[in-house]
Amino acid sequence: MAGLLVLGANQVALGDMLFVLVSFIILALAVKHFAWGPITKMMDARSEKITGDLDYADQERARAKKLAQEREDALKNSRAEAVGIVNKAKESGETQKKSILTEAHGEAEEVRQRAKSDADKAKQDAMAGAQKDIANLSLEIASKVISKELNADDQKSLIDSYIKELTVNETK
Amino acid sequence: MDDKYKFIDFLGLRFNVANDLSVLISAILVFILVFALSRKITMRPGKAQNVLEWMIDFTNSIVKSAMPDGSGRRFNLYAFVLFLFIFVSNQLGLIIQVKVGGFTYVKSPTTNPLITMGLATISLLLSHYYAVKKFGFGGYLSNYARPVKFLLPINLLEEFTNFLTLSLRLYGNIFAGEVLLALIGTVAKSVGAVTFVAAIPLAMVWQGFSVFIGAIQAYVFTTLSMVYISRKLEQE
Repeated sequence: MAGLLVLGANQVALGDMLFVLVSFIILALAVKHFAWGPITKMMDARSEKITGDLDYADQERARAKKLAQEREDALKNSRAEAVGIVNKAKESGETQKKSILTEAHGEAEEVRQRAKSDADKAKQDAMAGAQKDIANLSLEIASKVISKELNADDQKSLIDSYIKELTVNETK
Repeated sequence: MDDKYKFIDFLGLRFNVANDLSVLISAILVFILVFALSRKITMRPGKAQNVLEWMIDFTNSIVKSAMPDGSGRRFNLYAFVLFLFIFVSNQLGLIIQVKVGGFTYVKSPTTNPLITMGLATISLLLSHYYAVKKFGFGGYLSNYARPVKFLLPINLLEEFTNFLTLSLRLYGNIFAGEVLLALIGTVAKSVGAVTFVAAIPLAMVWQGFSVFIGAIQAYVFTTLSMVYISRKLEQE
């Protein structure tokens, strides 16, 4: 084997060096064409995609955070608004209640006054009517007493007629 | 070793059939492996693609450790093919050895110093080529006198020692492994059944170790190639 290393020795196969050189270069070219090119391209594309995806994720996270903040603010605002609305409604209800009550009080007072005056008037009317009736009645009785001789039967018939007249008057 | 080889003389050069056939087989095996693993390349890798990408990442990390600034990207393919080729070459002789009529036809091609020198030649040619490309021919020559002028002879000598150590380290390791395997085989046949049985565990252990050595030497060869290239590409 040592003889192989000595130049000029009978059995030096220098062609082997050339052969390994050429076959290695051909192998490298073949590997590059069939495997290395496509796969390194894909690996680069993947690393690019991963970088892009990471950037995109960061952006999205920031956006989501902003949105959440906005929502929270909106929620806080709406809560305050709701409280305001309820308070306003309560207030307006209270005022409405007061006005309705005062109105009702006034109306009731008016109705009462009117009823009272009506009753007074009716009473006065009735009194006046009764006075007139009584005057007439006494006049009639007096005239009847005067026009007739009074006996027991007459007395009785007189009273009956009087009562009859009274009931007729009353039913009128 | 008392192996006998067939030789072919062609265009004034002598070719060792066993070496060339083994180199060819190794190259074809590497190509078949890589070709089979790269059939379905997708954004979400399958099993085969994962294996291939793992190997590529491994050799890329070798290049990156020698040239961390990213200038080594153009050597990624070279490191990948070199590593796979040497690895397969180292294992080839452990798996099959073909002898027909006393002549060896298939073995580990890396058990021959000329083959490893051929591989080392590629590495060194690349390193010189890229050094000239980067610094210009004058700059390339002046790099031999750096960092101080009197180191010129040592730097020149280093070129030869680099070449020899790189190639002969690989050759020595793989060759020694096969020699010892052959010796264990001789022991097995020496007395009879007793030595045959005794040699079996020895052969098993040594074959396992040879697989390990083959992988380590492929790694070392690739790493040192990248280191030599990177040293040529920087000014001290």
